[in-house]
Amino acid sequence: MAEISATGQPADMLDGYRRDAGLSHGDLWLRYFELGGMSNALELEAILYGALEPSPHDREVIAHALNERFVELGGNHPVPYTESDATKRRTRTAGRGSHRFAPPRSC
Amino acid sequence: MISRHSEARLRVQSRAVAPSVLSVAYRHPPRPLGGCPICCQLRYVVAIRLELDRAASGCDAEVTVPKDLFGQFAVTVGFVNARAVLAVRGEMDRVTAPELGAILDAVIERHRSVVLDLAELDFMNAWGLGVIAARASRLRRSGGTLTIRSPSAMVLRTLDITGVTELLGVELPDPARRRLGAEQSIEDADGLDGTEPHGLAQHVGKITAVPADPDVVDGVLRLVVALARASVGGADGVSVSLRRHGRLATVAASDQTISDMDASQYATGEGPCVDASVNGRWFHAESLDSETRWPAFTPRAQALGINAILSSPLLAEDRPVGALNIYSRTAMAFTPQDRELASVFAAEASSMLTSTGVDVTDEQLSSLRNAALETRRLIAQAEGVIMEREGIEADGAYSILCNYSRRSNRPFRERAEEVVASTQRPQLDPESGPRLGDDG
Repeated sequence: MAEISATGQPADMLDGYRRDAGLSHGDLWLRYFELGGMSNALELEAILYGALEPSPHDREVIAHALNERFVELGGNHPVPYTESDATKRRTRTAGRGSHRFAPPRSC
Repeated sequence: MISRHSEARLRVQSRAVAPSVLSVAYRHPPRPLGGCPICCQLRYVVAIRLELDRAASGCDAEVTVPKDLFGQFAVTVGFVNARAVLAVRGEMDRVTAPELGAILDAVIERHRSVVLDLAELDFMNAWGLGVIAARASRLRRSGGTLTIRSPSAMVLRTLDITGVTELLGVELPDPARRRLGAEQSIEDADGLDGTEPHGLAQHVGKITAVPADPDVVDGVLRLVVALARASVGGADGVSVSLRRHGRLATVAASDQTISDMDASQYATGEGPCVDASVNGRWFHAESLDSETRWPAFTPRAQALGINAILSSPLLAEDRPVGALNIYSRTAMAFTPQDRELASVFAAEASSMLTSTGVDVTDEQLSSLRNAALETRRLIAQAEGVIMEREGIEADGAYSILCNYSRRSNRPFRERAEEVVASTQRPQLDPESGPRLGDDG
């Protein structure tokens, strides 16, 4: 059973998106760093697993790094940029039998 | 109803089907199909394909679902000699297995001989197993056969354990072709004979991976060595050689003697390990007593009590990056089964090495990091421009850039470039510079 964070999200939700995006931790860190992220690779990994709370800015950079990858793959920014976005999306998609942390289906 | 949005992302390739036929068919589905439109699309493309198959032979359809939904999952349907061949690519799990099930159902309606080519299947869980077992059972009851082609060792083992192989035909890959390539004689050892190395420029263009931590890679390779040592009959020692920082090095070895064996090969520049690592072919020295290919290395090996060597190449992105070396004190120790087992270990290790980016050279990694630094510098400049223009803090400036990139579906870097470039046009009125929160 996945650990659930205080906001009702799986603690490793961001790492789920990373896996879905087909990025290694190193790949994501380089993209995050490129977009101005300030955490080192180990800190980023801890954030992805939910062991470290990111600052709102860090959260935005991580989400955007992931979303740019999803856009490359034909997606449309499935990763919520803030915790509150994530909570809203979770409420909207509840009961739809979603796959892991995949973005909501466009249908 | 299939939305234009979804339709645009569904790539359909067919040599025999005119695009207009497919687009007309999309707009006018012959019957309502329940469930997710993506499933409908898949079923529908197959249905179209099957209809046309009766009138025209030799046409294929490739169905690729949006990658952000299903990873790399894709199914290619083809028809060869009255057999339907479904090539599955990517991961088969809870989400994608029903898609394959829907396609199989459509195919089974018309074809009694169905081949499921799993050569490019990366992962399969119980959902995939269930789909295959159900369709195999149904086909068997109706007098047909479902054949699994080229399953990976892990998939085959899963099918075996669960008894599903009893319902199936299994076509194993040709080991010499798929795993090892032909053994190479010393005469043609200076080339790859059809598996020539990729040009550097071509390879640089494909780089997307940052190499994983070498400690992690080495840990996995030590596990491979231990498993091979315990599994391959006749193996007295096993090692893995890997090219790092431009030269071969032993990253895992079962004992010091084996490590010394590898070192002797690096020192003399010859031996099965070196040749397999350089040429991407497997080399088998059945008995060093009669071995003539490596005159400088062979006496050193015999002095350490080694009499047979089996070296299998390790490949990353199809480029040789190292070798799995199995040594025996007994001549003629390795049977064909041992060679096949060695090739399985080498193939699994190669898969891991590909995903961890070990083939990325120091120069390429340096290039990646420099590019990242350049983009970072550009973004910082753009943030500064926005902060000055809008009178806001750095985080706010970043959010403006981020929002623009999100709404316009354009990379962050492109917008940052525009913002920085706008400061370099003296003819522009600074007051009328791009309003950075706008879409345009």
